[in-house]
Amino acid sequence: MSLIAAPLLLLWPGAIVLALLDGRRRGPGALAVAILAAVFVLLAVLLAAVVARGPQELVAGGWAPDVGIRLRVDALGAVFAVLSCGVLLASLLQAVITGIHARATPSLTLFMALGLTGLFLTGDIFSFYVFFELAMICAYALTAAGGGDRRVRAAFTFAVVNLLGSFLFLIGIGALYRATGTLEMAAVAQQAATIDPNTGLLIAVTFFVAFGIKLGLFPFHFWLPSVYLAVAPHVAAMFAGALANIGTYGLLRFGGAILPAELELSSAALIAIGALSIAYGALQAIARRDTREVLAYSSIGHAGYVLIALGIGGPVGIGAAVIFSIANALNKTLLFLGSELRGRLAATAFLVGVLSVAGVPPTAGFFGKAALFDAGIDAGSITTVTLLFVGGALSFVYLFQIYQHDRWRPRAEREREMPTGAASPGQRGVALAVAAIVVLLGLWPEPLLAIGEQAAQEITATTPGRAEP
Amino acid sequence: MNPLFAIVIGVLFGCGVFLLLKPDLFRVIAGLVLVSNAANLTLMASGLTRSGQAPIAPVEGNEPVADPLVQAMTLTALVIGFAVTSVLLALCYGVYRARRSVDLDELSREEAAEAAALEADEPPLDEESEYDQQDEFDEEIVR
Amino acid sequence: MTSSLTRMVARALLAPILVVALAILVKGYANVGDGFAAGVVAALGVLLQVVVFGREAVAAALPLRWAPAVALVGLGIGFAVFAVPALLGDAPLEHAPAPGVSPVHIGSLELITAVVFDVGVFLLVLGASVAIIDAIAAPGEGEQ
Repeated sequence: MSLIAAPLLLLWPGAIVLALLDGRRRGPGALAVAILAAVFVLLAVLLAAVVARGPQELVAGGWAPDVGIRLRVDALGAVFAVLSCGVLLASLLQAVITGIHARATPSLTLFMALGLTGLFLTGDIFSFYVFFELAMICAYALTAAGGGDRRVRAAFTFAVVNLLGSFLFLIGIGALYRATGTLEMAAVAQQAATIDPNTGLLIAVTFFVAFGIKLGLFPFHFWLPSVYLAVAPHVAAMFAGALANIGTYGLLRFGGAILPAELELSSAALIAIGALSIAYGALQAIARRDTREVLAYSSIGHAGYVLIALGIGGPVGIGAAVIFSIANALNKTLLFLGSELRGRLAATAFLVGVLSVAGVPPTAGFFGKAALFDAGIDAGSITTVTLLFVGGALSFVYLFQIYQHDRWRPRAEREREMPTGAASPGQRGVALAVAAIVVLLGLWPEPLLAIGEQAAQEITATTPGRAEP
Repeated sequence: MNPLFAIVIGVLFGCGVFLLLKPDLFRVIAGLVLVSNAANLTLMASGLTRSGQAPIAPVEGNEPVADPLVQAMTLTALVIGFAVTSVLLALCYGVYRARRSVDLDELSREEAAEAAALEADEPPLDEESEYDQQDEFDEEIVR
Repeated sequence: MTSSLTRMVARALLAPILVVALAILVKGYANVGDGFAAGVVAALGVLLQVVVFGREAVAAALPLRWAPAVALVGLGIGFAVFAVPALLGDAPLEHAPAPGVSPVHIGSLELITAVVFDVGVFLLVLGASVAIIDAIAAPGEGEQ
């Protein structure tokens, strides 16, 4: 039971203690990594428990279940918590090995992990918002940390745009509470069928805008490239691999589980926006040369795939969205962490990331893409399958472009542009470890697929009145 | 009561968005504060289905009690808004300290001039330790 | 730069502001008020001093540099209320004494875990706000 509270119990004091210490030193950095590693293990145990025994619950304060704030974790929440925590762990480890320049980075990372873990484990909509804001505030501060005029300006834009989204989300929560009289996710999902359709759609739109901004979907993407470009690679990896999960999880949870009728109603619109996102991201990425700019635009494109899977809907579509976003988060982490490392092993790790994004077989990305194709074929939509194919081809083109541009040129020419020396063994080790996970999931995908399926089933099962096509 | 709330929320949100569109960082922050308060009022308004005495024990007789949940939520949202505003102000102050200006047009001009002058090299890293204080407000969350 | 009247009023106001903050803190269980509001009011009192007398003078009179530590102590108290019941085998944030059991009274103040938690919130808000005020006031003076 206390397995749910344990990660929070570890992260909270850890972050407080680290806030007191100077994070630029080795010791606090190592401590932060150790805490995150322990939390990662705890969350993995929790995930195993959820897979074996179904959703777990804990009511805070020993209150009656309908009164107290409920922590509830199902397969979707657990897998995203493990994923986000793992990404933060890898990024922070990389940062500690490289050397941290901002005092607060380890502490902020732990606070962000606290926010993310909390929001994936809660079963209450308002505490979801609170944890979500905690994670976002840490993200704003992390963007600015380390100083530099450009970072502070990027952080300002980031904060303003995302806060507008957060406040819209808050308004949506108010409306949802008014319409259903409860904030408990499961109870809201039960009540959702009784909401007046117009009201329901308005609420769904506020949620969509809020999470679309987090995810960097096409019409809401404008903050994303400047932030990903301004921050250090390990922070960009945290944002792309862990923070963007909020958007995916939110869309799946609020769209798939809480407001399924509205999701079905807006399926065509979702697919259209997803298609625009893919096209925009891919075309912009092809036009760029800077590695991180390409990756930033490619993130916009990949958010579109999640949206298309969601638009297709049903257990297959939602399962595909889960599997694809797991693979995508790992890919992006790998690419951002590897983007500024030199040396042959680092290049190999980067290449694994490129192949995984393109969906070449022995990688996790292959199964992400395969799940999407499966969903597209299941829905019988030729346009979707074509779009997925073209999008995949384009992503292969732009990623190979940067691989070629970065690694296939005479050493002297490269070093003039990017004066970073060869990567240290530790830095390479982190990138290679993530690459190994990507390949391992490609060779042995059963756990990934099983979790995706279980998550999709749990989500679609919470809606008894759902009409299966 | 409801139309009044709706009008006030609308006006607040409108003014907030108007300020958000101004090319001045400080006005942008002020705009966000207004929008956040519009959101807080929406939360309050969502509990207007029942009204009555303040929901503080001991409750008198059989009088109806106002919905305490929305009040708790609004309080939490206010705290978060406070934390967020202070982060934004710190960021704004950071920009001001670096550039001596919070006017976006001016800042963009300066940046464009700099970019044209040379491929800007990475500025020296300086410590921004004040940021680690702000997010801790959010630990309020447990209330 | 400030008139003697402003200075006098500011000096006279500090103690009442802190008393009001404490009152808001302890009233919170039978009346309107809580730790957050109390912390903000107390921080406003400090802000008034900084605005009127300047940071140097206030730093000499009040322990401004301990503000981050105060905030972290507050955060730690909040965490303790969350964690201690969990370590003892109850649900996190478990209320003590249990509902229905009469708590210890000091005057009208009831000693319950919620009070402890609110004191933590008060220290956190006060400490963090003062730290921000201090940080923003610090470099600005020399530069201008």
